[in-house]
Amino acid sequence: MVVTNARNSDSFKVTTPSEQEIRLTRLFDAPRRLVFEAMTKCEHVKQWWGCLGEGYSVPVCEIDLRVGGRWRFVNRHPKGEVAFYGEYREITPPSRLVFTEIFEQFPDSVSVVTAVYSDENGKTRLTATVRYPSLQVRDMVLASGMARGAGISYDRLEELADGLQRS
Amino acid sequence: MPVDQLSATFAALADPTRRAILSRLLSGECSVTDLAEPFEMSMPAVSKHLRVLERAGLIARRREAQWRHCRVEAGPLKEVADWTERYRHIWEQRFDQLDQYLQQMKTKETKRHGRNKRKK
Repeated sequence: MVVTNARNSDSFKVTTPSEQEIRLTRLFDAPRRLVFEAMTKCEHVKQWWGCLGEGYSVPVCEIDLRVGGRWRFVNRHPKGEVAFYGEYREITPPSRLVFTEIFEQFPDSVSVVTAVYSDENGKTRLTATVRYPSLQVRDMVLASGMARGAGISYDRLEELADGLQRS
Repeated sequence: MPVDQLSATFAALADPTRRAILSRLLSGECSVTDLAEPFEMSMPAVSKHLRVLERAGLIARRREAQWRHCRVEAGPLKEVADWTERYRHIWEQRFDQLDQYLQQMKTKETKRHGRNKRKK
C-alpha cells in the first residue's frame, strides 16, 4: 500500500467490471474543468504524471489534443526511461476523454482508456476504464481482480516469497 | 519470467477452486487428501486442478511413501503479485500526485481571478 499524504486517497478503488476491463476511480477536490485540463496540457502533465521525486522527471510530453492526435509521455528514472504513447479518440471537455495507451516496451498491447469526469458537489470523480485487447492481458486483469477477491494478500505473498527464496 | 508463463499463471488463478486451494496452501504444505477435504469434490477433480496449478508453476507436488504432498511455489505468485501491485501502485501514485497538483492549480487560479477575467 502506498503511504501518501494526499487528500481523498481513500476514495481510490480498482475494480474489474468485465473480463477485458479494469476500472480505476478516485475523487479529486477540484472542479471537472481543472481535472480535465491537468490531464490534457503538458505544462500540467509534467507536474504530476509518472514517478516524480529525486532522480525522476517527465522530460518528454507531447499532446496533440485532437481526435486522431497523438500523445507521448516519457518518465525518466534513475535507471533509464519508460515511455507511453497513444492517440486521442474522443475529446469532450470537461466530461469525457477517450484515448489509446501503449507501453513502448510492449507495442502490441494497445489498451483503450475511457476517462469520465463527473461532478460531485464541486469535486470531481474520475472513473478511468482501461480496456485490454488480448486474451492474455485480459486474463492478467481478470486474475488480478479475482486474486484480490479471494483474499490472497499481496503482503502475505511477498512475505512468503521472501521466506522461500531465502530457504 | 517469460510472458506466456505469466499468462499461464493468471489463467490458472482465474478459477475460484484453484484460488481456494492456493489460499489453503499459503498456510503451509499439506497432503492432497487434506487439501481435497473442504471442496466436496472427487479426488480426480481435485487432481485436475492441482495439475493445472502445477503446470502453471504455482505449486509443487512430491510423494512421500504413499502420501502426496503439495506446496506453494512462490516464484510465479510473486510475479503476479508484483505485476498487479505495480499496476495498482502506478495508478494510485499518479492519482495522488494529480490530486496534490490540482490544489496548486486551484490556488493559482484563485490568484489569477483577482486580476483577470476567468478564461473560458
